[in-house]
Amino acid sequence: MPGAALRVEHLVKVYPDGTRAVNDLSFEVAPGEFVVVIGLSGSGKSTLMRCINRLIDPTSGKIFLDDVDITALPREQMRYHRRHIGMIFQQFNLVKRSSVLTNVLTGRLGYLPPAWALLNYFPPAELARAMGNLTRVGIPEKARVRADQLSGGQQQRVGIARALMQEPTLILADEPVASLDPATSHSVLKYVEEFNKKDGVTVLCALHFLSLARRYGTRIVGLKAGELVFDGLPTEIDARRFKEVYGEEAVEVEIA
Amino acid sequence: MTQDALPAPRALPQGRAWYRSGRSLLLVAALAIIYAYGWRVTKIDLPALLTGTRFVKPFVVDLVRPDILARATQIQEARVGVTLDRALAPEDFPVSSSSPQIEVSPRVAATGGKITVTGHNFRPRTSGVVLWSNQIGNTMQVGTFVTDGQGTFTTTVTVPEIFLGPAGGTGARQQVLAHVEWATGPLRPSKTALIVGEKIVETVFLALMGTTLAVLLAVPLSFLGARNLMARNPVGTSIYVLTRTFFNIMRSVEPLILAIVFTVWVGLGPFAGTLALALHSVAALGKLYSEQIESIDPGPIEAITATGAHALQVVRYAVVPQIIPPFIAFTIYRWDTNVRMSTIIGFVGGGGVGFVLQQYINLLQYRQAATAVWAITFVVAAMDYFSAKVRERVI
Repeated sequence: MPGAALRVEHLVKVYPDGTRAVNDLSFEVAPGEFVVVIGLSGSGKSTLMRCINRLIDPTSGKIFLDDVDITALPREQMRYHRRHIGMIFQQFNLVKRSSVLTNVLTGRLGYLPPAWALLNYFPPAELARAMGNLTRVGIPEKARVRADQLSGGQQQRVGIARALMQEPTLILADEPVASLDPATSHSVLKYVEEFNKKDGVTVLCALHFLSLARRYGTRIVGLKAGELVFDGLPTEIDARRFKEVYGEEAVEVEIA
Repeated sequence: MTQDALPAPRALPQGRAWYRSGRSLLLVAALAIIYAYGWRVTKIDLPALLTGTRFVKPFVVDLVRPDILARATQIQEARVGVTLDRALAPEDFPVSSSSPQIEVSPRVAATGGKITVTGHNFRPRTSGVVLWSNQIGNTMQVGTFVTDGQGTFTTTVTVPEIFLGPAGGTGARQQVLAHVEWATGPLRPSKTALIVGEKIVETVFLALMGTTLAVLLAVPLSFLGARNLMARNPVGTSIYVLTRTFFNIMRSVEPLILAIVFTVWVGLGPFAGTLALALHSVAALGKLYSEQIESIDPGPIEAITATGAHALQVVRYAVVPQIIPPFIAFTIYRWDTNVRMSTIIGFVGGGGVGFVLQQYINLLQYRQAATAVWAITFVVAAMDYFSAKVRERVI
């Protein structure tokens, strides 16, 4: 499935308490790009991602996904569009008491009749799809294990398998490796990269480490106080650009 | 580093002794007044612990020998008529020569006089009692005896002061009874054990029904009492406040008081107790459930919403798995608590084992009371263990 094209136009999000999290942000992402979003905590990365799948309603501005203005969609239609936007979280956001398999299957709920949930019924084809996705992220043997029994890296791989169940054209990854150690970070990002390269899924990934951003991104977008301060290739980001995004006091920390 | 390079230990600042501080003295004085008053109003009387030992002793002694097992008993009884009025002849009862029989001498006696009772054909070497009975069936124990090897006995009893009926009637005709009783056959559960057993089962089910009724009401109410779900608009907030106020008020009313209200409403018996426990448990469980709903992790809700799932699916797969295990744990714990409470509810007529326990205590039947006390102890301990095991598993 080819990746989606994303276009953000003059996006503004002001929270009820007056915080201007995203301020007149515009950029375009071509299908199949791996865009890394960098910026300090509170620079608007998470708000931007949640505006794209409308977990948060933007204050103004437009977001086009494959030329459909998703900010104008009514709730029920937005639900159908969300099915194609996978999301990966910093805290994995798995249901800890449920099994790994159930957690993966929840990624498919948007395609199934809601009433089936009352019976906890999943068709055999979906079970097979879930096992296939668990195999892709390398932990098929953990299917029956409770999600909270897994290590952080394994939990994030479950999160990725859940996103894959949606057959997404766009993956939003909100600091997917911020809770993981360096070695695990690479193994998780390699899976995201693989789906980007092999399946052509467009990826928008918030990262904190510049070394990871340079290693995985095909393009880097820098946010500062909700505004775009950098947009370019990974090779273009040097010390001066770095300080523009992260502030004068920042020192670059390397991750192996 | 050399020894002399270490800094010299500094003297600690000397604080004032506590009794020199006015505030401390004031505090001590206030505490002394509070406890002196407390000692007075609670009428603490330590010597009573010693002087009262003779009253509590039979109860404590009987506590270690509860009435659980008993043999069947056999009875032999014989009676003979006597009179307190010369003008009235004593009654005669037919007796066969082989059955137990007694004779008294004299058969005409006056209150306070002595008469001799002789018995034959009783079971040898068995203890018995001599009873005095008037025309309306009031009996009174007037003596004891033990039969000899031939099954005979002789004893002297005093004519008791007993109701004779109106003057001119036949009330002066009275009876003397000799009564022998002995245990026979194998040990089997006593009558008390059977009654207590039945009532304990009633108690457990009383608690079960009360808890179940409470769960049915508390689950929907708990969603209305969860701040994270309700307090989003003024209407929701007022429903939330109302629900929580109801929980807090009902929780602070003792089930015992509710039981009194319900016994007046629906009459004495386990149904009143069930309703009392149910109403109290709705509030107690509702509060626990609501707090559990408030503390769920919003992460999975966000994640499953982001997959394009319907609201129903989000509740089923993100909310329910997070609340079901703690709900089960709370419910089992509540059942356990309710079993304990329902023993007390019986004291005010709400059914269950407490009702018979109170009767036994009032009738000074301490061995029977001990049976009930032990039964309650074992059942409560078993429920406690069972509920702890279940909670361990589900959490």
